[in-house]
Amino acid sequence: MNNRARTSPTESPPTDRRGFLSSISGGVFGAALASLLARDGFGEDAEAGKPASGEHAQRRVYDLQPRPAHHRPSATGMIHLFMNGGPSQMDLFDPKPLLDKLHGKPYFDKIAGEVENPGAAGALFRSPFEFARHGQCGTWVSDAMPHLAGCVDDITVIRSMFTTNLTHEPALFKMHSGRMLSGQPTMGAWITYALGSVNQNLPAYVVLDDPKGLPINRTQNWQAGYLPPVYQGTRFRSTGSPVLNLKRQFDEPDEITRLERGLIGKLDDLHRRKRVGQPQLDARIASYQLAARMQLSATDALDLSQETAETKRLYGIGQKTTDSYGRRCLIARRLIERGVRFVQLFIDGQIWDNHTNIATAMKSACDRTDKPIAGLLTDLKRRGLLDQTLVAWGGEFGRLPIAQLAGDKSDKTAGRDHNKNAMCSWMAGGGVRGGLAFGETDELGFAAVENRVSVADWHATVLHLLGMDYEKLFYLRNGLEEKLTGVLECRVVEEILA
Amino acid sequence: MVFGGRYIFLSTFFAGVFLILLAQPLRAEPSFETDVLPILRANCFRCHGEKTHKAELSLTNQARLLKGGESGEAVVPGKPQESLLYELLRDGDMPPEKEKPRPTKAQIETIRAWIAAGAKFAGGKIETARVTQHDVIPIMLLRCTVCHGGRRREAKLDLRTRASMLAGGKSGPAMVPGRPQDSLLLKRIHAGEMPPRRKLVEVSIKVMLPNEIKTVSRWIAQGAVEISDPPGLATGKPDPLVSDKDRDFWAFHPPRKPAVPKLKDAAQVRNPIDNFILRRLQAKGLTLSPEADRLTLLRRAHVDLIGLPPTPEEVKAFLADSDPRAYEKLIDRLLASPHYGERWGRHWLDLAGYCDSEGIQHSDPLRPFAYRYRDYVIRSFNNDKPYDRFLLEQIAGDELADYENAKTITQELYDNLVATAFLRMSADGTFANITGFVPDRLKVVDDQMEVLGSAVMGLSLKCARCHSHKFDPIPQRDYYRLTAMFKGALDEHDWLRPRRQSGEPGSKDRYLPFVTDQERRAWQEKTKNLKGKEKEKHPQPLIRALWDRGEPSPTYILRRGNYLTPGRLVQPGVPAALTDGKTPPEIKPPWPGAKKTGRRLALARWLVEDDHPLTARVMVNRLWKRHFETGIVATLDNFGRAGARPTHPELLDYLATEFVRRGWSIKTMHRLVMTSATYRQSSKVTAQAERLDPENRLLWRTPLRRLDAETLRDTLLAVAGRLDLTQFGPPQGVKVRADGLVTSVAGPKGWRRSVYVQQRRTQIPTILENFDLPRMNPNCITRPVSTVAPQALHLLNNAMIHDLAGKFAERVREEAGDDPRQQIQRAWLIALGRQPTSEEREIASVSLEQLTDLWVKLLENGADPKEAARRALHNFCHALMNSAAFLYVD
Repeated sequence: MNNRARTSPTESPPTDRRGFLSSISGGVFGAALASLLARDGFGEDAEAGKPASGEHAQRRVYDLQPRPAHHRPSATGMIHLFMNGGPSQMDLFDPKPLLDKLHGKPYFDKIAGEVENPGAAGALFRSPFEFARHGQCGTWVSDAMPHLAGCVDDITVIRSMFTTNLTHEPALFKMHSGRMLSGQPTMGAWITYALGSVNQNLPAYVVLDDPKGLPINRTQNWQAGYLPPVYQGTRFRSTGSPVLNLKRQFDEPDEITRLERGLIGKLDDLHRRKRVGQPQLDARIASYQLAARMQLSATDALDLSQETAETKRLYGIGQKTTDSYGRRCLIARRLIERGVRFVQLFIDGQIWDNHTNIATAMKSACDRTDKPIAGLLTDLKRRGLLDQTLVAWGGEFGRLPIAQLAGDKSDKTAGRDHNKNAMCSWMAGGGVRGGLAFGETDELGFAAVENRVSVADWHATVLHLLGMDYEKLFYLRNGLEEKLTGVLECRVVEEILA
Repeated sequence: MVFGGRYIFLSTFFAGVFLILLAQPLRAEPSFETDVLPILRANCFRCHGEKTHKAELSLTNQARLLKGGESGEAVVPGKPQESLLYELLRDGDMPPEKEKPRPTKAQIETIRAWIAAGAKFAGGKIETARVTQHDVIPIMLLRCTVCHGGRRREAKLDLRTRASMLAGGKSGPAMVPGRPQDSLLLKRIHAGEMPPRRKLVEVSIKVMLPNEIKTVSRWIAQGAVEISDPPGLATGKPDPLVSDKDRDFWAFHPPRKPAVPKLKDAAQVRNPIDNFILRRLQAKGLTLSPEADRLTLLRRAHVDLIGLPPTPEEVKAFLADSDPRAYEKLIDRLLASPHYGERWGRHWLDLAGYCDSEGIQHSDPLRPFAYRYRDYVIRSFNNDKPYDRFLLEQIAGDELADYENAKTITQELYDNLVATAFLRMSADGTFANITGFVPDRLKVVDDQMEVLGSAVMGLSLKCARCHSHKFDPIPQRDYYRLTAMFKGALDEHDWLRPRRQSGEPGSKDRYLPFVTDQERRAWQEKTKNLKGKEKEKHPQPLIRALWDRGEPSPTYILRRGNYLTPGRLVQPGVPAALTDGKTPPEIKPPWPGAKKTGRRLALARWLVEDDHPLTARVMVNRLWKRHFETGIVATLDNFGRAGARPTHPELLDYLATEFVRRGWSIKTMHRLVMTSATYRQSSKVTAQAERLDPENRLLWRTPLRRLDAETLRDTLLAVAGRLDLTQFGPPQGVKVRADGLVTSVAGPKGWRRSVYVQQRRTQIPTILENFDLPRMNPNCITRPVSTVAPQALHLLNNAMIHDLAGKFAERVREEAGDDPRQQIQRAWLIALGRQPTSEEREIASVSLEQLTDLWVKLLENGADPKEAARRALHNFCHALMNSAAFLYVD
């Protein structure tokens, strides 16, 4: 075992009572509970279940109380704009003049093992989009994203990311949890596990998924894995009741509901008084009280009628193509404003999975998201929130420089197949340099070649910006120090820090 | 402590230190023989010496040092910062912490300087090792044999051995030893023709990497050297990887029956379990708590054994039974209940990682016949199948008896095959080409090893997939020996995909047609007059199974767990730490003429030997955990050094030896545990005991427990009178509402018990998920017990719970009439199996009255006055279903 001292905010596998304590902090009840437990003297350390090496400070209560970071954070909250499907780097941020030149030349044999659908593989394929330099920095952006092009001075585009699998499911798991399989804690779970949250009446980790449907891998994209369940993401739907069962699903006068809840309260109080020293029961009562508080807070956070018409316009709310994503972007800002630690946006299906018709299909993905995202960046900035909020954009992999041909084998309907060797992403806000395009792919955009950024590097960088050291953030499980970045070598990409 | 693990992270941090060292003036070049070797001898040889080769590494001479260990090269001449030997010494990771002696800083600097100067030896350079068939065969398996191997032999070519390569195929010999340029094999590879590019994904393989082509080329150039296979276990020599000292740990020794402790005050003792518990309690000045009252015991026993509340009739009968053995009779009645298997079978299904779907991809395809395994488990528990037999069937059922040539498929033959689905349960994306490559398959194998290790053996085997275990004496070799035991059935180079096809024996899928004759006849009868689509509705009945196919490919250690870096060949075997290290498992075909290796049968037989150090202990500990919320060993899946130590080691061994002595009968163990005074205690907390043992590790009371997901749902349905108790068969389906709420679909008789609801990975019923039904990954050893807001919201606001409360209220009215006092009594009896206390009755009647009054006020004039009472009772029953008393068991 290694014998360096660790100043980790983390601890040991939940067993016996600790296992129980880990569990009682249900979402928003941490505050009430932690003090309650401290009073009961349950804050003391316990010896059972401690690993044989027994050197780690034990965390006794798994809750969402705000916790100090490892170092001074550049960002106190994060919005992750996840782009399901794998946006095409050479059609968005990574212009490849050589592709124009070699358009139509065969290339498949050189990359055969890297093509998911060999039967449909075509020749090298130029981008149907026009590129130009934008902002004072001159970052290249294609004409598919006119609004974001106006924000490039605030963002770092990473052109040299790569991942390890070219299939959606494992690649999504990789982006969200660092591993290519399910059952692992996601990045949001790690972040809230480490830092807790400022707002105790809202979940610390909110997921805004598309009302049209769940993304691939569904709710596994925001699971807590082996971390205590209190750290899993909570879905807020942007229309209707934001949380499952948040509101009564049956008609009943409010007075009746109040009376019935009073009855539950009385019965539970009596039940607890007969059972002194059973903290589960206190926790449960707290959970019922706090469920009610959450009902109010969540409803308020999602009430967009409090926003001005100008703000709504900025996000594209009210316009057909941008309304849905615009609402989610605006809700994201309202949640971050209220101290929610980590907000993640999903979009239905896989709008960036442009196997065919890249010219039109990818454009429509841009049309739905470009204005809302630019609106979010602008709004955060003018409210002074961008400095402390990390905004990250990206998908699970990139796309190939060769065409994927549809049945008619024509260029017009061609798209691009998955590519794990190169993908693009960007970051903006808290602690990130503005106006930078980082890293290079090869001349055709097939693989990242210079300043390569792995998914683990990206995770390490995100953690760093939020005040954490990726090597110190671990969870002891079965004698192993489990980490978001796993056991593979990685680094904080210092070059993109402000 | 061994090479491997975290050293990579350290390199950046220590780069600075390295630079500082570089800046210092260098002394004369150190010599290996006079300067380095003595340092290694003093500090390293105890684990990496002549006799002991931890992590496959020995540092005694030039050849061994250059060969390196399981993590790769130990020394890279000229590059100390890339040399594991230096890096681990420098960072203090080696020798392992607390071990002495340790090298001084100056000595470590000597090693650095020696490596920096080129790591020279007095004897000069030695020849690099020859390439042998064991370097080449793994490459052939990985890239070629799917089409040119045992099952498919395209162009009549088989590339699995040197001989078959020489024999060649249609176009002649595949290679000419000594002449790579004339070897067809290499020509086709170099030309980019093989493997054929457009077919790669179809067969889930990838092209050969440049270093692999180089290896094949060098092998042929050197004359295609073939060496004899390294021996397996029975060498007679001491094992260089696992020593007797390593075995010296409590969990690796067989359990021995301890003497039952004598107590000064044995008044509380009901059976020997109490002696063990009381001895430790009394030593601390504690005793057992008083026995819980009868109805508390009734509810506790019901929840523990069958997961359903006692009915009012059962409460009445139990109270009326004046027999002093009434409690013992209750336990017998519950153990004989057909619902016992549903409750305890579910616990086992958690360990197996039971699921009705494959997972991995979004489509999450269903496993149509997985439910047979679920039913098998439930029936086995109900029949009290001896645990040793239960394991034999699940690990090696296909090797227990010949089913292919059986005249009739009996229930026993059927059970044998169905049971093998135990190791077919992990999430498995290999149904699709793109998620069916070798690493995907290895992940499935790894998951199944984890299931075996965590569920049956209580060992965290999976660590040893990538490097020798950090805490336990499980070298990486032993992990691969164990996977070799499964190779006849789980072979990443000869893989059966989880697809349903014809079901004919030999077809490339995972289904066998050997259902019982009775079921087959019934199916034939049913379908004989059907045609077309009608007939398709009744597909041929099949069994999802795991079976040995008789031709395992050889097993190579995968260095760092990476399929691209195969290491040496290993033979099938079991973890050496659990054996004497000398006796190999006896592996032979299970019956004369069997086309099976018999490997898993040998493994299973070894696991259920009476004196196996772990099997019985792990199982009785699990049983204990289910009755007392915490195991005697708190880490149920880890009895190793990193696991918790038993709180009552003698009790654990007493239970383990009793278990074996009483024929591995699980029901007997329930009886023993549940009739102890320890189990029958009250759950009440007392201040003094709380102070002395706040965690209740000594068991001075019974822990309070929360209903788990299934028990809560089943209880809600039972109380509402909407539980359909139909057993077995295809699962009840689920539906997903637009907002994401997942519910099970009711049949004509109501909702079935949760164990019979479809377990699709992507569609877990929301109520079960909210109350901690786990995602199987690959299995679940201990469920967390969370107390989170969505639980309260679900019980309070969900429409189905509200409806069930209405049904509950109707039932109360039917059984108790219109008198509110009678209604309250009855509601308590149905929901909680007891009468309300006077305080509860007071709260209840006041609230029911207030609710009725308010409803009268709210309902429009002219409404039926009974309607207000009806609605008030509905609210009242809803509140009871939401109460802590409903959710928690004393």
